[in-house]
Amino acid sequence: MDNIKDTILEVIYSIIPITIVITILQFTLIGLPAETFIQFMIGVVMVGFGLVLFLLGVNVGLLPVGELIGSALSKSKKVWMIVLFGFLLGVVVTIAEPDVRVLASQVDTVSGGEIPQSVLILAVALGVGIFVALAMLRIVFNISIVVILAIGYGLIFTIAAFTPPVFVPISFDSGGVTTGPLTVPFVLALGVGVASVIRGKTASTDGFGLVALASIGPVLSVLILGVIYA
Amino acid sequence: MNLHIFEGFGATMEEVAIALLPLLLLFFVFQIFFLRLPKRKLLDIGVGFLLTFFGLSFFLQGVHIGFLPVGELMGERLGAMDHKWLLLPIGFFLGFFAIYAEPAVSVLIHQVDKASGGYIPEKVLLYTLSIGVGLAIVLAMIRILLGISLWYFVLPGYIIALILVRFSSKTFTSIAFDSGGVATGPMTATFILAMFVGIASVTEGRDPLLDGFGMVALVALAPILSVLTLGILFQRKEKAQDGKSKERAKTAHHDR
Repeated sequence: MDNIKDTILEVIYSIIPITIVITILQFTLIGLPAETFIQFMIGVVMVGFGLVLFLLGVNVGLLPVGELIGSALSKSKKVWMIVLFGFLLGVVVTIAEPDVRVLASQVDTVSGGEIPQSVLILAVALGVGIFVALAMLRIVFNISIVVILAIGYGLIFTIAAFTPPVFVPISFDSGGVTTGPLTVPFVLALGVGVASVIRGKTASTDGFGLVALASIGPVLSVLILGVIYA
Repeated sequence: MNLHIFEGFGATMEEVAIALLPLLLLFFVFQIFFLRLPKRKLLDIGVGFLLTFFGLSFFLQGVHIGFLPVGELMGERLGAMDHKWLLLPIGFFLGFFAIYAEPAVSVLIHQVDKASGGYIPEKVLLYTLSIGVGLAIVLAMIRILLGISLWYFVLPGYIIALILVRFSSKTFTSIAFDSGGVATGPMTATFILAMFVGIASVTEGRDPLLDGFGMVALVALAPILSVLTLGILFQRKEKAQDGKSKERAKTAHHDR
């Protein structure tokens, strides 16, 4: 029961402040028709209700799955399996990530269907998957995170030179939205699980840095998508 | 009144079902070959998936009928104002308050507290993050109004971050780069982004696709830079204090 109360409070805290600012703006500067504003308020309630259910579901069902898979994988001690399933998990979790869906549908609308929602989501998911796999390799072989970050950003700036300018903001935004309410706990659970089995409890900080890597992947993959489009 | 609340809800539920299917399939593969969980546990997980399904459907429906259209409309109104400079304080307040109450931030604060041994006061971190994200949104507004390429913000941002990393401890580097996500929560990526697209669409000479997006990227940079900077500042302080206490110990030794 405490869990439910905490989740409800959590959602209220993350939604209320912006709603208040918007309401103040509505009555001072914006002045939309009452009907539109009511539609917005109903949207706020639905988003809040949806987020509560979603977060509860993630905690009850999805996160335990992530942890179980993480520990089952690392017990197998086979590097190729850890890497392969790290990749698959990255892909499937991103496909279900709400923030990624919303960004992709906005890009779809604004680009007038030129960049379809499904294509962008797939590109982002592949990017996350590949970098989660890399992150697993990093934990297994104890590679410094700074090295991977530097190489990752180096690649980003190189590939960006060959991609149409329109794709640049979209790619960086894709990197930002992958750090949503599903990917972060899921990927962290997986990483911490693998790190603690492979190198004992002292290595628990190894699990961190995973989210950072997971958000470089989509930037790269969407830039590459741009090169393909061009 | 002409409200469209459940318009297209069926399509949204279908989309969500397709979105969750791959994860469910992967779980079944693991269940059959590795996990072999007992029925009770399976039931729990099933309930979890069901909750996630309905939660995601309602969330996306609310976003589609409320946040996206109204956010864009509000952006259009704001972008058409006579006093465009007003957008800057508005952006700052949106960013500041979005992060100030964000639950993910308290998780981050707890992490930093543990990693720094309590050297960084919680309030300092909270205000640095809130102001940082507020400023990031102000920069994003300036970018739209003046039509500056995203590169001029992102490139220096990441170069500064990589330079700061050289002076940072390993733990702090990891926490900082993971913290990018705390500010890009469901409100930022949906409502504020829709507002930006709206502003870009009414500002002359701006392409909503090229100039409207990019805001999330700037907002994600702010916590990274904030945490890295605070980490270094307070590390210095810690060292300085260490040095002083050592010196004191030395002089005390001499006095004896």
